[in-house]
Amino acid sequence: MSTEIKILKQVLSKYSKPMTLTYPSTVAPERRYSQIPEGLRGIPERDNDKCIGCRACYFVCSGRATSIYDKDAKRTVEIFLFRCTFCAHCQEACPEEAIKMTNKFEIAVPNREDPAARVITELDLLKCKNCGNPYVTRKLVDRTYERLMEKIDTIVKETVSNDYKKLDGYCPDCRRAYGVDFDTHTKKYVWLEGV
Amino acid sequence: MGIMDKARIYSPWLYHLHCGGCNGCDIETLAALAPRFDVERFGIQLVPSPRHADILLTTGCVPKQFIPMVKRVYEQVPEPKVVVAVGSCACGGSLFYDDAPENYAILGHPDLLIPVDVYVPGCAPKPEAIINGVVQGILKLAEKRAKK
Amino acid sequence: MVDLIYTVVSLIVIVPLALFLGVVYSFLLRKLSARFQWRVGPMLRMYGDLKPLLGTSRLLQPLYDILKLYGKETVVPDVSRRRLFVYSPYLSLIFAVAAIFFIPFPGMPLLSGVPYSLIIASYLLIASILFTILGPIASGSPWAAIGARREVELFLVSELGFVLSIFAIAIARQSLVIWELSKGAQSVYLALLTVTAGALMFAAVLGKLHIKPFDMPEAEAEIVAGPYTEYSGKLLGTYYLSKAFLLYGLVALFISLFLPPLATDVLWLPLYLIAAFVLVFLLTAVQVLNPRYRIRNAINWYLKVVIPLGLLSFIIALAIWLVV
Repeated sequence: MSTEIKILKQVLSKYSKPMTLTYPSTVAPERRYSQIPEGLRGIPERDNDKCIGCRACYFVCSGRATSIYDKDAKRTVEIFLFRCTFCAHCQEACPEEAIKMTNKFEIAVPNREDPAARVITELDLLKCKNCGNPYVTRKLVDRTYERLMEKIDTIVKETVSNDYKKLDGYCPDCRRAYGVDFDTHTKKYVWLEGV
Repeated sequence: MGIMDKARIYSPWLYHLHCGGCNGCDIETLAALAPRFDVERFGIQLVPSPRHADILLTTGCVPKQFIPMVKRVYEQVPEPKVVVAVGSCACGGSLFYDDAPENYAILGHPDLLIPVDVYVPGCAPKPEAIINGVVQGILKLAEKRAKK
Repeated sequence: MVDLIYTVVSLIVIVPLALFLGVVYSFLLRKLSARFQWRVGPMLRMYGDLKPLLGTSRLLQPLYDILKLYGKETVVPDVSRRRLFVYSPYLSLIFAVAAIFFIPFPGMPLLSGVPYSLIIASYLLIASILFTILGPIASGSPWAAIGARREVELFLVSELGFVLSIFAIAIARQSLVIWELSKGAQSVYLALLTVTAGALMFAAVLGKLHIKPFDMPEAEAEIVAGPYTEYSGKLLGTYYLSKAFLLYGLVALFISLFLPPLATDVLWLPLYLIAAFVLVFLLTAVQVLNPRYRIRNAINWYLKVVIPLGLLSFIIALAIWLVV
């Protein structure tokens, strides 16, 4: 009986204030949500301008939520949220810091095809100058060149840069098939080893 | 809108079906039912028997041994009913499901067995997200009628 | 003639009124236990922006539950004894409604003036509960069978307290008519009896309504939903309806027997309602502050409390009868 009286006292001391939040309602915005922590991994968001379609997120994705497919001269990079575990590996792996985990979490969709269930980026593919097949995104070529030039040794820089520009715009198949015609510098790797 | 339709919206009863999975979503679901979020404000109650339920709330990917139980519990819920899949496992199978080399033990998402009406992705979804999904489920429930 | 017409009209009026009050009492049970747990509970005033979707008030939440159940598919298991399974809820409802006719409401004596109305009312209340046991037994579910068995055991002991308390009052007042009991004059000795027999009746009401320490018949998470496991749709709704009537009936019987003049004249109506709300508050407090007993503990508790209190009440009642 004494414990019950203790409980009753405790209950009645805070009797006037229920601790319930007002969630779906917006009447009291400060009491709407529970605590949203600083590093909450919510729905991932991709910056369409920054994404270069490099597949780094595809390779690290543990739940196979990320898929990349080329169709009609477009490369689609998508995260299917139904398979996503919100682990933020793609955020870590992204070389361009295009993927950011937001702290949004309210998502409920009525069917699998709903656009809200996917984080989609569509990128235009570059067509091969020779055969006309789409093969890679423009941004990926440019960013690879930039990063290459940042890190490469000054001795080979000019040669590599010239070769890169000669090969630019051709798909890997065409490069292999018509390699001789490009007249690229064959010795650059030998020089690199010597440095 | 008649009084019966209103009553259907005003008192949706939940049955929580845990079919495989890591318990994360179940903990969040229970948090959504606890005093902090208190869904009884809107007449939502957790019922112990699927025969009383309006909303079937499933969590977790379905192990193969659990297939008959999922089907049976779904059939026990009287019409009109709505299924809300909570968590990435229940929505798309998440880490556990794969098409190509089929898993020997795990079927994947319950969507392969029963028609799901609302998906709440998240690993695990916050209680607010679950309440949001249940509210969408209620809206779907309002559209349905009992089969005569 | 006028009396007859008044009785017939009041019999027709009391059914929706009792339903409304029963629904309000069960709303209060839910709301108060929610507030005890620092929750909001079913909202009396819905949030402004959600009103178009979710309604303005949930005062009638238990009624909405019942209406919803009436709009749902009803599943009858193949293994059940179909007739008993299907008719039990309706019989339970009929007996609960019939019991209400014998319990007075302020301004409405109803049938409480007929001879032996106390015995008739208590029999009808017992019959109503009996059919919440018979239906589940016929359902063929092991969970329902376990729940029903627990309910039988609880029913036996709680009924003992119920019968002892009403007969202690009846002996002291030398009447078996509820209407006469409910307008009897108070005295010091009767007040003493009211305390002991009232406590006894309160304990019996706890068992009859499955309030928390005695909710083992429908122990959730333990034996699924107990007796109601196989019930769905209309049949479950009918059980809930009879529960609402039963809640009203027991509260009304308690007030008319133990708080005498309140259930007689229409002028007492505000006090009657206040007394009813206080009673519901006490039921809620017991429900919130107690864990669930095992059936053995519950029977022990009833026997420890019911037999001494019942004997005490009977001694007081006999003393009043013989001496005063």
